[in-house]
Amino acid sequence: MQLNPSEISDLIKKKIENFDVNVESHTEGTVVSVTDGIVRVHGLSEAMQGEMLEFPENTYGMALNLERDSVGVVVLGAYQHITEGDTVKCTGKILEVPVGEALLGRVVDALGNPIDGKGAVETTETSPVEKIAPGVIARQSVDQPVQLGLKSIDSMIPVGRGQRELIIGDRQTGKTAIAVDAIINQKGTGVKCIYVAIGQKRSSIANVVRKLEEHDAMAHTIIVSASASESAALQFIAPYTGCSMGEYFRDKGEDALIIYDDLTKQAWAYRQMSLLLRRPPGREAYPGDVFYIHSRLLERASRINADEVEKLTGGKVKGKTGSLTALPIIETQGGDVSAFVPTNVISITDGQIFLESDLFNSGIRAGVNAGLSVSRVGGAAQTKIIKKLGGGIRLDLAQYRELAAFAQFASDLDESTRKQIERGQRVTELMKQDQYSPMSIAEMGVSLHAANEGFLDELEVSKVRDFEAALQSYMKSEQADLMQKINDTGDYSDEIKKGIQSAIEAFIKTSSW
Amino acid sequence: MSELPTLARPYAEAVFKTAVESKSTKEWSGMLEFLSVVMQDKEIAAIIANPRVSQEKMTQLLLDICQDQLSKEGENFLKLLVQNDRLILAPQIAELYESYKADFEGYVDVDVISAYALSKDEQNKFAKTLEKQLDKKVHITTSIDKTLIGGFLAKAGDRVIDGSIRGQLQQLAKKL
Repeated sequence: MQLNPSEISDLIKKKIENFDVNVESHTEGTVVSVTDGIVRVHGLSEAMQGEMLEFPENTYGMALNLERDSVGVVVLGAYQHITEGDTVKCTGKILEVPVGEALLGRVVDALGNPIDGKGAVETTETSPVEKIAPGVIARQSVDQPVQLGLKSIDSMIPVGRGQRELIIGDRQTGKTAIAVDAIINQKGTGVKCIYVAIGQKRSSIANVVRKLEEHDAMAHTIIVSASASESAALQFIAPYTGCSMGEYFRDKGEDALIIYDDLTKQAWAYRQMSLLLRRPPGREAYPGDVFYIHSRLLERASRINADEVEKLTGGKVKGKTGSLTALPIIETQGGDVSAFVPTNVISITDGQIFLESDLFNSGIRAGVNAGLSVSRVGGAAQTKIIKKLGGGIRLDLAQYRELAAFAQFASDLDESTRKQIERGQRVTELMKQDQYSPMSIAEMGVSLHAANEGFLDELEVSKVRDFEAALQSYMKSEQADLMQKINDTGDYSDEIKKGIQSAIEAFIKTSSW
Repeated sequence: MSELPTLARPYAEAVFKTAVESKSTKEWSGMLEFLSVVMQDKEIAAIIANPRVSQEKMTQLLLDICQDQLSKEGENFLKLLVQNDRLILAPQIAELYESYKADFEGYVDVDVISAYALSKDEQNKFAKTLEKQLDKKVHITTSIDKTLIGGFLAKAGDRVIDGSIRGQLQQLAKKL
């Protein structure tokens, strides 16, 4: 249905009538030099730190270096049309981006402009990109789980709502895969997801969008994209943009999950900008405040208490806490987690998930190194069933790791050692999971119960996954009520335990696997 | 690298303080204007930039050129600039000095650009409104720019007050 021409001109006429004609006053400066996206502007004595400055042809820049007589500005976008002598105007606004529900399901760039071709984003609010993290009193401790849907992570390295959990590993170890599975698993839970792609190939970002659409997960997701060919300034700002969009939900008493993929590239972009701004380089040529760019970003991911939510919504939302969970991703080179940026981010986050190439290549996907990975929130953020069953799994794997070297001499060992090794092998096999197949709490609980109670010990290691798959489909068709009950309550009462036990025994009797 | 005005500022401040103390702001204004013109001359600029010319030779040459234009303090100031190798800053020092002087005497230089020539009455009205706005006495310099279509544009230092039709059309275009 098309708008007919008279309607359009009426709209315009209305806009013109309502147009407020006033004399505007602003400060101006002149461009002195333009180098690689950094513009030096003479004048602009009233520029604020981080203020948006307007260049000719609707280009904007951010004032970063405030000096006595000039301002160092980073241009947000293309800068080829800016020449010496151009006029630069102050806008009086610190850099801000649109936030709101209307962004869900959309792909936007680092400034909030839509790039998915689905029209303008109809938001009513904007939020500054740089905000101060909630204070100590405003926070609440983390005790609700975020189900990532991956057995190895949810059982041994649980993540809570409001926690920051780092996903760290070499290239091609499955970091983005964990993130995408986490987003898919949030469908229907009310958790809004934001995926910030920093410095990535556009084909990768397109892949992620397509996969999320296939699994019907775009409806609760915002994608913020600052791909590799965009200016360093946009790659630097993108995480903060995503964070502001996530804080909108947090401050309303809802839960949100934000994934920064990845912060290493943001540090590189910041290093580029700082070196061009002639700020002195430090270790690995990073500027002195590379820790601060990550700490102030990650501190904004938190859980705030109900009083704070009430205050922020002006009394509209009462009795609900809000949270923003962050899953930053860092790429290491050659497994070196003691490099500068990885150690920085490890010290900021509440735990890390280590992904190793060796584990990945040997078929263990997700390739999580359970020994080095940790979650400092731990059991407080687990449902009862996973907590009770997950403890046993972690122990089995730890014991197996101790004895793994002896696995070659399986025949020459005493009974108990051999049993531990065999249990460890089967549990490791069980922890493998296909991509794009996140599991619910009930499904995980059933698998872990089977492992703990020794149902896997009789099987060959290579048959464990087939057994699990068949068991899951059996539970789905024959025991749907029990599964629903577990999903709803997350409980592991004796009744449920007996229920699972008898269900598995019945399944084995059918030997349909 | 610092901007020239940043380097020139301490000198301008020192000169201004001396001028105020000795109540000779106008004379200093003239001296600095003269120095700035001298430094911008092509041949002098070449000599200043030449590293082979010794400091004494340069001082002697410049003093000869300036002769009776400079007071005793003025000559000292010139010698200081030669010593610190800051002769090229003379135009910036003069500019900054003028702005300090204007501030001190409580007036502001305003460029009023309009599409059509303003009558004397209109100019006076302008001056009065701007004085109220900026809370200082106003020295108006007018000029004409047809591209404004109508209205006016007033520039005082960094601040720009845009009441032109061209500016309003730009605002409307942005809104639509």
